[in-house]
Order: sequence, then structure tokens, then C-alpha cells
Amino acid sequence: MKPVAFDYVAATTVEEAVNALREPGAKVLAGGQSLVPLMNFRLSRPSRLVDINGVASMAHIEVRERELILGALVRHQQLVEDPEIRRSLPVLSRAAQHIGHWAIRTRGTLGGSVAHADPAAELPALLVALGATIAVVGPEGTRELTAEAFFEGFYTTALAPSELVTQVKLPLPQGAVGFKEVVRRPGDFALAGAYVERLGSGGAVTWFGFGDRPRRFSVREWPSDPEDRRHVWVELVRNVPVEERDQYKYELAVAVAEESYRDAGGEE
Amino acid sequence: MAQAMRPQMMGARVSRVEDPRLLSGQARYLDDIQVPGMLEIAFVRSPHAAADIIYMDLEAARQYPGVYAVLTYDECPVWLWDKATYEVGQPVLAHGEVQYVGQPVVAIVAEDRYVAEDAAELVRIDYRPRTPVLNMRDALHDQPHRVHAHTPNVFFHQEYQTPGFDEAFRQAPHHLSATFRTNRQTAVTIEPRGTAAMIDPASGRLTVYASTQSPHRMREDISRLLDIPEHLVRVVVPEVGGGFGMKANCYPEDIVVARVAQMLRRPVKWVSDRTESLLSDVHGRDDIHDVEVAFDADGRIIAIRDHLMADGGAYPAYPFSGAVGETSLAARVLTGPYDIPHLATVIDCTYSNKTPLGAYRGVWGPIASFIQEGVVDRVARYLGLDPAEVRRRNLIHDDQFPYRNAAGMIYDRGSYRESFEDALALIGYDEFRRQQAMDRQQGRYRGIGISVFVEPTAMASSEAGSVGYESCTIRIEPSGRVTAALGLGPTGQGHETTMAQLIADELGVNLEDIVILHGDTDSAPYGGGTGGSRSGPIGGGAALVAGRQMRERLIKYAAHLLEAGEEDIELGHGEAWVAGVPERSISIRTIAETAYTNVRRIPEGLPIGLEVTARYLPKRPVSFSNGTHVAEVEVDVRTGIVRVVRYAVVNDCGRLINPTIVEGQIQGGVAQGIGAVLLEALNYDENGQLVTTSLLDYLLPESTDVPQMIIQHRETPSDGEGGIKGMGEGSLIASPAAVANAISDALAPFDAFVDTLPVTPDMVLAMVQRKGA
Amino acid sequence: MADERSVVELTVNGRPYRVEVSPRWSLADVLRHRLGLTGTHVGCEQGVCGACTVWLDGEPVRSCLLFAVQAAGHEITTVEGITPAEGLSPLQEAFHRHHALQCGYCTPGMLLTAEALLRRNPAPDEATVREALTGNLCRCTGYQFIVDAVLSMRPSGGED
Ligand SMILES: Cc1cc2nc3c(=O)[nH]c(=O)nc-3n(C[C@H](O)[C@H](O)[C@H](O)COP(=O)(O)OP(=O)(O)OC[C@H]3O[C@@H](n4cnc5c(N)ncnc54)[C@H](O)[C@@H]3O)c2cc1C
Ligand code: FES
Ligand code: FES
Repeated sequence: MKPVAFDYVAATTVEEAVNALREPGAKVLAGGQSLVPLMNFRLSRPSRLVDINGVASMAHIEVRERELILGALVRHQQLVEDPEIRRSLPVLSRAAQHIGHWAIRTRGTLGGSVAHADPAAELPALLVALGATIAVVGPEGTRELTAEAFFEGFYTTALAPSELVTQVKLPLPQGAVGFKEVVRRPGDFALAGAYVERLGSGGAVTWFGFGDRPRRFSVREWPSDPEDRRHVWVELVRNVPVEERDQYKYELAVAVAEESYRDAGGEE
Repeated sequence: MAQAMRPQMMGARVSRVEDPRLLSGQARYLDDIQVPGMLEIAFVRSPHAAADIIYMDLEAARQYPGVYAVLTYDECPVWLWDKATYEVGQPVLAHGEVQYVGQPVVAIVAEDRYVAEDAAELVRIDYRPRTPVLNMRDALHDQPHRVHAHTPNVFFHQEYQTPGFDEAFRQAPHHLSATFRTNRQTAVTIEPRGTAAMIDPASGRLTVYASTQSPHRMREDISRLLDIPEHLVRVVVPEVGGGFGMKANCYPEDIVVARVAQMLRRPVKWVSDRTESLLSDVHGRDDIHDVEVAFDADGRIIAIRDHLMADGGAYPAYPFSGAVGETSLAARVLTGPYDIPHLATVIDCTYSNKTPLGAYRGVWGPIASFIQEGVVDRVARYLGLDPAEVRRRNLIHDDQFPYRNAAGMIYDRGSYRESFEDALALIGYDEFRRQQAMDRQQGRYRGIGISVFVEPTAMASSEAGSVGYESCTIRIEPSGRVTAALGLGPTGQGHETTMAQLIADELGVNLEDIVILHGDTDSAPYGGGTGGSRSGPIGGGAALVAGRQMRERLIKYAAHLLEAGEEDIELGHGEAWVAGVPERSISIRTIAETAYTNVRRIPEGLPIGLEVTARYLPKRPVSFSNGTHVAEVEVDVRTGIVRVVRYAVVNDCGRLINPTIVEGQIQGGVAQGIGAVLLEALNYDENGQLVTTSLLDYLLPESTDVPQMIIQHRETPSDGEGGIKGMGEGSLIASPAAVANAISDALAPFDAFVDTLPVTPDMVLAMVQRKGA
Repeated sequence: MADERSVVELTVNGRPYRVEVSPRWSLADVLRHRLGLTGTHVGCEQGVCGACTVWLDGEPVRSCLLFAVQAAGHEITTVEGITPAEGLSPLQEAFHRHHALQCGYCTPGMLLTAEALLRRNPAPDEATVREALTGNLCRCTGYQFIVDAVLSMRPSGGED
């Protein structure tokens, strides 16, 4: 389990990084918590690694009135611990706490999680749930994509090979956002997870952990009776296609959605 | 001896002498061995479950810079084959065909592992794939075909039944049947396997460093298979990061590494990576049991019938097929702690195109307990009786010891009933039952599972080999310090501490003045190694016997030098003195000086120096430990997630050498049992690809998966040396049944029983849905 | 791809090193095989087992998922670095007293995670300790005595 040889470029600015990425076969190295395991298995074989850990301009945390702006290099553990984030968007800290283990979170980055686009990952789903925008820089300049448009499927995104995720803008939700996931062990990727936003009498549910990417569904009006809500979950979740062996996850999805709903309402 | 020394160290909670080096990062495990010029090996392994090898092109790999050699079967034509027992053996590098995914085919020797892996990718092999044999029940009938054309897939078949079985079974008022399945699991030591070898330039001897549990067996295997005279092979076992039976085998890689050192006359090393481990460490379990039970209206079990099937993989692991071990032993202890008069067993072990099956802690036990305890719970539920009560009605009575079970195994005395009642009290069984009814009404599904176990220990043969005895050499150095060497192969059990405790008591010296050597065939006396819970009772027995012989010698010296009668001499704290006259004393150090340097003063009839070697062969072929585990779980019936919330153990392994170490063994085994029930499975797809090749797929219990455990000891001494029984495996023998039964109990309102391990969330959901609450 | 080597300057346990490395060499391999610091262990090379845990600027990280070239300019601490010149550290002593290790292979990673936790939170409760240790697998101990050892480090001496 040793990676193939590559050359190594340590970038200190976004421009340097984008330039270095022009080389075919080049890949961004951020926290390395997804990329390096793949390289160790030789499933990923970049000929060049562009290490962006030294790009100081991508590590910012900025809390504005209506939104939270996070550089791509913000580490998961910062999401957990940063007092500003905990205050302005507690669901983000709580969700980040469920990513892997401590020593994974100290390295893993928001940008890496977004670019990696694991359908069971907590952060991409939260971006979809909140309607975040993702800023991307490439040889052709900068563009912004909605999270919904960014995540295309299993580990696939709208990112071009020489593009870099630089930052994420998360609108602070007006309603309450609940979070719940089912894991076999703490730190594992979720078997199923849900964010539920409650705003007025309606809101939205965003599922992850099954299907090819996080999916968000708006709900005009939440039924107050749990049994009726169950029907809503059952109806909605059928819109997420899953493989045969994951059929049982529909059950989990219903359970986590309901718990997430209650979580958003501050109920037990 | 006038006054028996009161043991002080035996039974004491002594902190381990091994710890400081392990805690400070100074211990040397296999991969820490680094000598100048050392090369590393990477293996090209079979990507197919079954295929003929049509063509190999090794040129590009041979030409790759940094590569020193590329070996195929032609360069290393050695077979791991116990010809007396099996029709089939495994070539250490594939010969014309491959029979499982991960089978070593080509060995690349290079300057380091990175380069070796680069070159491994350059090897081109054309295979003609065959339909793999993957299903045990089909394999039994040679379907879809034979794995090895010249011999049927069933490579071990045995039948047994007690006289009058049919009659007793037929006449019983009630019958139930069930099929139990335990999936493939494996030890997953956190330190992967590894081997290093080098030629000693002075003597020309081959030194093999191996992370193995059986140093002497490894030396024998290497000597025989590579045809090197045994005295020219030295096996050294460095620190070993866990074994659990998996490191008891001789593996193809061990032989290839030794061969490369011989061929290239360069030091060489191979260390498994995690994917290789999951593919090529012996697998364990993997069996199906079709069980029928006959019982009366009071829940007394009259007869059990079991068709035991185990998938042995592509080759019998060398020299010990796990399939044969798991089944033939299970068949002999299937009635567990219960007085069940009738038993009928049929065993079939089959070949398949999967990794060979070997030992994993508790061989046979986790499976047999799962069945025996599952049967009791099924009988209880069928009759509407409490499972604890049904156990009471079936447990062996104290006046029945020594008890001969239905398979003819003799159990020595234990605390079967006491440990059972104690364990129920520890967990608060009756209170739990009251609470459980209330919880259910609120949609909380909690369950309790009982597992009363027997643990055959110190057996004449085990996965560590068929050496029934253990050896201990004690040498008191001229300075009075003690060196003791044993043939054991510890992998974390703390033998350096426990063996020293035993010897300290015998010799009356301080623990710090004793060093225990093991794992080097040049210094350790010939022995069987560690496995099958033999080190405590047999290794400890050898230490006691050697200690006693040395003690007698010290007493002779002291009596002579102090001019007193032997019967009046006492030993302690490094001194010998005349009973009642402590000022008439002599230090062990002075005795040692006399024995080595002042030899004219040696008492008549005693040899020069202070050295004894003793071998201990227990009189009994086996000694049974026992105990009871009780697990409490909570099942989330909406998500299928199970949490073990409480756990109680009452354990009886005879006289305790060190209770803390025993508790550590129990806690570790319970964690493995929780893994076995909830998490761990080696899964193959329909093409025979192992799909669980990383630790994100093969899930081990984490710190949050294991609850606080309450542990209590009972001590029913064996009649062997020191009254010690073994205890390395009992915790993993008992725990899967306890946890599985607890889940079944929690799901009783759904009429469900756990019959397959592990129980994954989707399986729990299916059980819940089958019935609906 | 040419496997070109370059010299990096590393600071490990406060001591500076100059080593020639290939970019693809993991920090774990370089610590172990180039610097002779074999207390850092390797069990999966995938970030799961935690045996390779070291500190990067005081924070626990996986040294199997970090290339040695990336560690230049950072402070690396390994188990050798948290061991006093004489004897054992208080946490190591607690592991010893509580029998928190058997084969010892997971132990260095456990110690580094636990020590980092205690430096941030000197009085963690049991749930916090267990959560912090989820990223360190131990196959021998069943974790109980490890948790006990860590809890015993609290100023209250293990009592909640
Ligand atoms: C044991 C273990 C458990 C884990 N558990 C979880 C979990 O439960 N939930 C979870 O969400 N994650 C989990 N992870 C993954 C972890 O969250 C990773 O940190 C994350 O997925 C990737 O972030 P990274 O910074 O490490 O990215 P890297 O591994 O460095 O990169 C990942 C991919 O993204 C690309 N990339 C990285 N940054 C950028 C960028 N700024 N612009 C463009 N491309 C970029 C890389 O080229 C690469 O293709 C786990 C990892 C491990 C090892
Ligand atoms: S070796 Fe790094 S986490 Fe396992
Ligand atoms: S002590 Fe062996 S893995 Fe933890």
C-alpha cells in the first residue's frame, strides 16, 4: 500500500496552485484524508500533487450578518471548535463533529470534503440543505456554483480538473435546522442522515448517505401528526434512487428524517 | 520441606514488566528490524478466485531499477503440505493455477517496499478464469465442481452418535430445529504479519525473525520445507502486536522470505499491509450448523443433533486447518455446561475458492456456544419459560464432576452453577426483567442474553501444535539474578510478568531480579508456543516445576552452608535462613557465588552452577475453565442499530496468577465478541472477490462500542500444577452467544431469533418487519 | 514518473533533522525507517487504525496520511517525544498501573491521542474520553483499562 511516484508542488497562492494544476494528471492535496488513502491503495495515481495547505488566503472564517464565509482550507475540527461558527451556525459544528475521528478532523478540510463529494459525507449535504454557493477558481477565472448544481453524483462534481474550490458561502438559515445520522460506529460514514429545516409551518429535508448525492426536498407544510409525517417522509424518500442492497436504507431515512425534524424543533 | 512458602506473587495484581518499553516506543516489533542492506518484498497476488495461469511476463519487473529478484514457483518450489493428513497442499507461490483471491503468485524483491510495489504492477499474468466454488452447501456435493480436480471438496468427514440416540430423540415430547451460521471473520491484529530473514555471515546459519506464536514450530517448518538442518536455523520472535491464533500458522510468505535470504544472501523483510492481511491472514469461523433439539415439557434437553459444515477455503492452512478445528472441537463440546445425555454430530469440511481457514481465538468455541446457548433460549421461548430457569434445569450438578459429556470429553471440577447465579445477581437479572416489560410498552427494546460457557484449555494439542508439554530453563546467574527461558510465543499476554510471578514465589526472590526469555530458539528450550489457552497452565506449570527443582537445590545449598537441616530452611526476598533464627541467613547471591566460583564448597552430589530445565506435561489431556457472561443490549428497531449497554462476567479459570491480566484478557475477548456479533464479516461477492479488504469495510469495535464490564472471579483449582487453568479464549467463546441472545431477547416481541452472525442493521430491520410489533 | 528525492528539514521532538526523501514517502515511513523513531506504528495506511498517530504542531494527525515533505516547517511529536528522559510520563504511568496495554502496538497512538485530549481538557468525562479514542483501534484490551487510565489523570483522580 504505497503510492506511485509523483512530483510535489507546494503552492502558497491560489494563482500558483491553479498554474501548477494545468499539468495533466495533477491533483490538489488538501487535508489528504480522502486522497492519500486512495493513493495508498493506488486507486488514485496523480503524477503531480499540488499541496494547497500553504495557501494562506484560503483558510479564512468570516461571519457576516446573513452568511458564513469559509475558506476551502478550514479544517473540520475548526468547524467543531470555532466559537463564532458554533454560535452562528451550530448545526455545522454538530455535523462536523461526526466526521471521522479527531485526528482526521484536524487535517480534513471543507474544500476537500466538497471536492471529494462522498454521498455519505456530512458537509456536502449541509451545503445542499442550506443552499450554499461554492466559489471555484480555474485557468479561466472565478465562478460560483450552487451546491445543488455542484454535486453531480457519486464522487462527481462540476469541478474541472484544473479548478480549485476556494471558498464556500453558507447563508445562515432563517428557520431551525435539525441533524441526525445513523452510523454503525462513531466516525463512520453515515448509513443515512438527514437535515431538516423548519421555517414557519414548512421547510425542507435533505438526505445523505444513500443514493448518489445529497438530495433536498421542500415541504410546504409539515403535518403535525407523526404518522402523517411518516407518510411525507416515505413519499419523498422514494424519489432518491438506491441500489437493491440499500433498499433497507429507506427505513433508516424515514427514521432519521423524523428525528432530525424533532431535533430542529428542540424536541427529544 | 517443613514449611510451605506462602505464595505472595501468585494472585497479586502486579503491573507488567513488559510495559515500560512498550509505553515509551522502545519495543521492537518485526517491521522495526532494520539492518543495512535490507531488501523488501512485495507479492503479486491472485486477482481471481479460480483460474489457470496461462502466461507470465516478468521481464519489465526484473528490469525495473531497484529490483533485486523476481521469484515464481520455479525459484521456490515448496509446498505447505501435511501429506499425512490432507490430499492437498499449497505451493508457496502459485503453480499453474490460482485458487483464491490474494494467493501469492510472484515475489518481488527490491530496495524498498515502494519500489517493490512499482515493479509488482509491471508483472503481466494471463489467467483463464474458472467458475469459483463459493457456496458451502453446493460444495458439499462437488457443485459446481471440485476445487481440486483429484479429490472431492469434502476433505474431512466425521460422524458420531451416542448409543440409543435415535430412540431418545424420537421419544422426546418436543422438538425444534434451527440453522446457525457464523460468517467469516478474522483476527485483525493491529500489527500486521511479517517475516524477516538473514544469513549470519559468521556461522552461515539462517536467522528468521517472525511474528509468530510458535517459534520452535516455525523453526521446524522452515528447516524441513527448505531442507536446512534444524541446528542451522534460528527463529527469533520480536515483540508481537497481537496474535489471537492467526499468527500460529506457517504461511507461504514466511517460506518465501527465508528462501530469498538464502538465495540472495541479503537480509530481507516482508511486512503485510492491511489489504494483504485481510486477504491472506487465515480466516476463521465460516460455518453452517443444521441443528435439531429434543426436550421435555420441563425444558430438560434430551438430545441434540447437528450437521456441522465449515468452509476450509482453498487449502488446509498449514499445519492446522481451521475448518477441522472449528468443527471437530465444536462437536466435542456442543453440549457445553449442560447435562445433555444424547448427541449426534456429522461434520463436513469443504474446500472452496476462498482464503484458507485457520485459527482465530476460541476456535470452535464462539460457534458452539452460539448454538448451545441459542438452543437453550429457543427451548425456553417455545415452552414459555424463563431462559435462566431452563439453564438451571440443565446445568451439570456439582456432584457430577468429573463429568463425562455426551461426546466423551471429561470436565474437571468447576463452578458452573455458582458462576451462573453470581452473574445473574451481578447484572440484576430479575430487576431487569421487570424493567424490560415496562420499556417495551414505551417502544424501547432492551434484551438480556446469558451465556454459560466451558473452555477447554491446556489441551494436548492446539493450533500452536501438538506439543502437549512446555519447557522452562531457570538459571541463577553468578550474581544471584535469575534468567528463565520458556518456549512460549506471547503476543501481549504478559508472560514476562506472570511467569516471573510464579518463579519469584518458588525461589523467594524479588520480581525485579527475574528476567523471562522467550521467542528465540537459540535460548529458549523446545516448547509448543502460545495458543489454545495453554501458556498459563502448561507454561506456568513448567515454570513452577523448574522453580521447585531450583528451590530444592537452593535449600540444599543453604542447609549445607548454614549447617542446618534442609527441612528448617526458608526462602524469601533473595535470602535463605534457618526457620526461627533469621540471623542465621545467607543470600541467594552468596549461594550463586558458591555454585559458580567457590565450587569446592558445593554440597556433595550437586552439580556445578545453578541451572535446571524442566518439562511439564499435564496429567489431564484437557482442563476446563468455566463461567457465565450476561449482556444487555438495546435495539433501535427503527434503524437496526444495536448497542451493548451493560455486561457482566463471572469467570473461573482455577487459581489466578494475576487477576488484572485475566481481566484484561476478558475485556479484550468480550470486545471481539461484540465485534463478531455486530460488526465483523469478511464478505465475498459472486465472483469470489473479497469485498472487505480495508478497515473501513471490515469493522472492528471502537472504544464506544464496548460497555463498562463488571467482572468477578471464582477459583476452582485444577488438579494440575498450581491449580491453574487456561483462560485466553473463554471471553470470546462466551461473548458472541451472550450478545446474540440479548438481541433475540430484545426482539422477542417480534418472534425473532438471531441465527446468523454478524447481525447487521438491515438484518435487524428485516427481523422486525417480518412480524411487526 | 521519476522518483526524485529532495532534502527536507524536519523538526521531530524538538530536534532538527535533514533527510533526503521522496515526495511519496509517508511521514510514518520516514520517522520509522529514516529517523529510527520506530515508536510510531503502522496498522492500515488508510487513516482508520490510529496506530500512526503523531502530533503536528500539537494536534493529533495520522502520519500515514501525511507525506514527509509536508511536515517541513512543522513541529512533529512522537511517542518518543512525550517520554521523559528518565522513567515514564504520568499518563504512561497510569497506563502501566491500569494495565491499559497488552501487545502494545496501539499504545503509542493511544498515548498521543489521550495526552492531547488531557492537555485541552484536563477533566474529561468518560463519554468524552471514549469519543476521543474512537479513532484509535485496539484489538487486545477491549478499551476498558485504557479509558480507566485516562480518567485517572483527572485532578479528581478518576472520580466524576
Ligand atoms: C478514517 C476516516 C474516516 C472518515 N470519516 C468521514 C466521515 O464520517 N464523514 C466525512 O464526510 N468524511 C470522512 N472522512 C473523509 C474526510 O472528511 C476528508 O477530510 C474529506 O473527505 C476530504 O478532505 P481533505 O481535505 O482531506 O481532502 P483531500 O483528501 O486532500 O482531497 C480529496 C479530494 O478533493 C480534492 N480537493 C481537495 N481540496 C480541494 C480544493 N480546495 N479544490 C479542489 N479540489 C480539492 C483532491 O484533489 C482530492 O481529489 C474520513 C476519512 C478517514 C480517513
Ligand atoms: S496506519 Fe495510519 S491510521 Fe492506521
Ligand atoms: S494493546 Fe494490542 S492493539 Fe492495543
